[in-house]
Amino acid sequence: MRTYILKRLLQIVPTVLMITLVVFVMMRSVPGDPVVALLGDGYTEEDAIKVREAYGLNKPILVQYVIWLGKLCQGDWGISILSGRPVLQDVLVRLPVTLELIVLSMGVALVIAIPAAIIGALRQNTWADYTATSVAMIGVSIPEFFIGVLLLLLFSIGLGGLLPSSGWVYLPGTCPMMVCGVSLWGNVQHVLMPAIALGVGRAAILTRLLRTSMLEVIRTEYVTTARAKGLAERPVVFKHALKNALIPTVTVMGLQVGFLIGGAIVVETLFAMPGLGTFGIDAIIGRDYQQVQGFTLITAFAFVVINLIVDLTYTFLDPRIRYA
Amino acid sequence: MEAVVKYLPHRRAIGSSRPARHRELVTLTALAWIVVTFVPASDAQTPKRGGTLRVSYGNEIAHLDFHTAPGYEMMWVAMNVGCGLLNITPDGKFVGDAAESWQMSSDGLLYSFKLRNNVLFHDGTKVDAAAVKFSIERLMDPATRSGMRPFYESIHSVEILDPQNVQIRLKHPYAFMLHMLAAYRTGFIIYSPAATQKYSLEDRKQGKPGAVVGCGPFRLIEWVKGSHLVMERFDKYFVPGLPYLDRVVIRVIKDPVTEMAAFKAGEIDFIASFSPEHVDTLRAQSPRAQIMTSKETTPMLAAMKVTVPKDGKPMSKERAPHPIFGDLRARKAIGCYGIDRQEIVKIAFKGQATPWVGMTAPGTLDTVDVNHLCPYDQARAKALLAEVGYGPQKPLTFELMTNTEKSVFSVIATVIKEQMARIGVTANIRLVDKVTWMTAANQDGPWDMYVEDLLSQLTLDSNNFLSTSGAAWNHSRHTDTKVDEYYARYAREMDPVRRRAIAKELQEFVADKMYWNVISGSPFYMVAQPWMKGYVYNAEFEVHYDKVWLDK
Repeated sequence: MRTYILKRLLQIVPTVLMITLVVFVMMRSVPGDPVVALLGDGYTEEDAIKVREAYGLNKPILVQYVIWLGKLCQGDWGISILSGRPVLQDVLVRLPVTLELIVLSMGVALVIAIPAAIIGALRQNTWADYTATSVAMIGVSIPEFFIGVLLLLLFSIGLGGLLPSSGWVYLPGTCPMMVCGVSLWGNVQHVLMPAIALGVGRAAILTRLLRTSMLEVIRTEYVTTARAKGLAERPVVFKHALKNALIPTVTVMGLQVGFLIGGAIVVETLFAMPGLGTFGIDAIIGRDYQQVQGFTLITAFAFVVINLIVDLTYTFLDPRIRYA
Repeated sequence: MEAVVKYLPHRRAIGSSRPARHRELVTLTALAWIVVTFVPASDAQTPKRGGTLRVSYGNEIAHLDFHTAPGYEMMWVAMNVGCGLLNITPDGKFVGDAAESWQMSSDGLLYSFKLRNNVLFHDGTKVDAAAVKFSIERLMDPATRSGMRPFYESIHSVEILDPQNVQIRLKHPYAFMLHMLAAYRTGFIIYSPAATQKYSLEDRKQGKPGAVVGCGPFRLIEWVKGSHLVMERFDKYFVPGLPYLDRVVIRVIKDPVTEMAAFKAGEIDFIASFSPEHVDTLRAQSPRAQIMTSKETTPMLAAMKVTVPKDGKPMSKERAPHPIFGDLRARKAIGCYGIDRQEIVKIAFKGQATPWVGMTAPGTLDTVDVNHLCPYDQARAKALLAEVGYGPQKPLTFELMTNTEKSVFSVIATVIKEQMARIGVTANIRLVDKVTWMTAANQDGPWDMYVEDLLSQLTLDSNNFLSTSGAAWNHSRHTDTKVDEYYARYAREMDPVRRRAIAKELQEFVADKMYWNVISGSPFYMVAQPWMKGYVYNAEFEVHYDKVWLDK
């Protein structure tokens, strides 16, 4: 097991580097020059040449990548071309916001998906099943931004500002800046709508998947045996059926993290949250190469690590699985 | 008092139908009610100290080196953290900022400024003539790379007479010297020589505490990109009693729907730039909101490229006519007679803008209405195109580039496409993001026409760095030095009547040559909660929070 984890951890390095290299090359192939954005109405060709030299943007792409990599090895994530701020500092400020959003939206997804899937599977072809399936279908079909706008209209405008429409309040002890709103209740209020907007789509996918898995599992012989032995329905469902049905769901959950990061860009923009999503989209729009690299690095790393954790979860769900 | 007069008869009318004791009681109650209700109301007009103003920006602040950062968002911070020599009021009067008084020599070559003796930088050092000289020379230094540099080119030298008196000597008269110092971009912002030398440019750009030292009413506390910017009251501000606010917190909310929801929920007090498309919705949702606007000062362009590099190398000095719009007849057919400006305004701006042909917007100083030069005339457009050789046998097709920054650009592009179809021309829309557009436009890239509103113009003079033949932002790349001569004559003419005549000539000339094709004005809106008081609207040019107070 330890060897396996070590191997997987080592695999992270080339995977993440490959992703950053691809993004590095692709970003520079996209039309648009960050120096133009930086100089704004003070743009002159002469100044642009000097700025490009100052940031090393006149060097071949691979040389630029090697320089970036060399600095990264020394813990230097670079300086944002547009704002002049250290990229790592900005990533660390924004990371907790996105992490909380992703974890909670996955929580929202599971809270909806698990009961809906169990009810749908146990009461197949009844109104409860049809309702769960239909709701799942609607959830998959509606994009995050639309759910977000509906929530905004309902809770921020319709119900007299019951929930705040935008911004962020940090959990006590987590403020990474000088000036922060800090409050547990404030944090809950601010994260609720974004987490629901982001989580509902994932809930729909997981419900459909888990329902199908549950239907397969509850028809297996060991579940029939458990029932024949006189086990109560609850342990049969939760201990024997659900645990095994969760294996494909957990795999998909890991992959859904990628979609959650993508969805976070939309949701964070809609709710004006200072998270990594808005950081990434601002970087791409402004062609802030250093910032794009920082965003790619952290999201690629998070994606790979979460999928490693997912793989390790299999051993808990199915003790027969062993990693050499 | 007016309210009392209106109110009393009504209360008396109710009281008159009751017994005498009741009448007395009612009268007393009414009086008490009046005292409770209306006395605080009149007090409410006296500014209150304290509170936090919550401001929303639609775009991120680029960085915090005020002399070089692009974008209005930075400028609106600079105007509050920094101070300059003078400011300009909405009716065009100059008012002193750090300068107590100023005078111009009769030949227009020498400007003398007397500084107030109580102006301090936020680090406690004094604002003096040396700081003014240092800041002007920093702006003029090519190494600073300030977008303001072209406007300082008329300055010959800055002379310190004593710590409170400074003179700016010009090479030639410059009629807009005071306008430029007051409100071109940020206006002139005085930098602390000590802090500028102590901290690096990177420190200042990042907004490191201590590095951004101004002499304005608020000092910078923290800027976290993508999250917020916080300014706090500077207790030693040179105007006694100001500012009223304790704090200003600026947040970036990019989505206008979210911005409206936050405004309606009372989470923000002031939207510094509100999307014109949503004004009607906001007005309906928040009827008590103060919606501020004025005659447009930003032109909406449908720019056409006039020349291209002869050798194919962008920015080459050797120019050849653009294959389509290098011909004046094609420019006139498309940009002048082929575009129905009224229809564009009706569809894209719901009628909330002015159809306009002149190169400066309707609200800019010395603007001239030259709409009569370009009436919508399909037959004339077709005839001109036929002269150039375009027609059913050889239809004209061009690319119409626009960007995603404002949704109205795409709407205008779509209407133009439709209007082009009416004269047998195909306009293929290319929608790109802002940086791609800027790169193509600034770096002499391959484009035929673009739709954009570049920036707000206080005076016609402030447009010269966008439209003279040698300017980096001369996107059409016209090479007509007559435009430059007009600008020079205009800026150097000290007599306002003669200057206005030159402005008229220049605008007619540019419209006739179609070097700068304007569609309309581009409206600008600011929105404030009813409790935000004391704000003086002056479009994008002056955004000051020093006299703002909250009536909550």
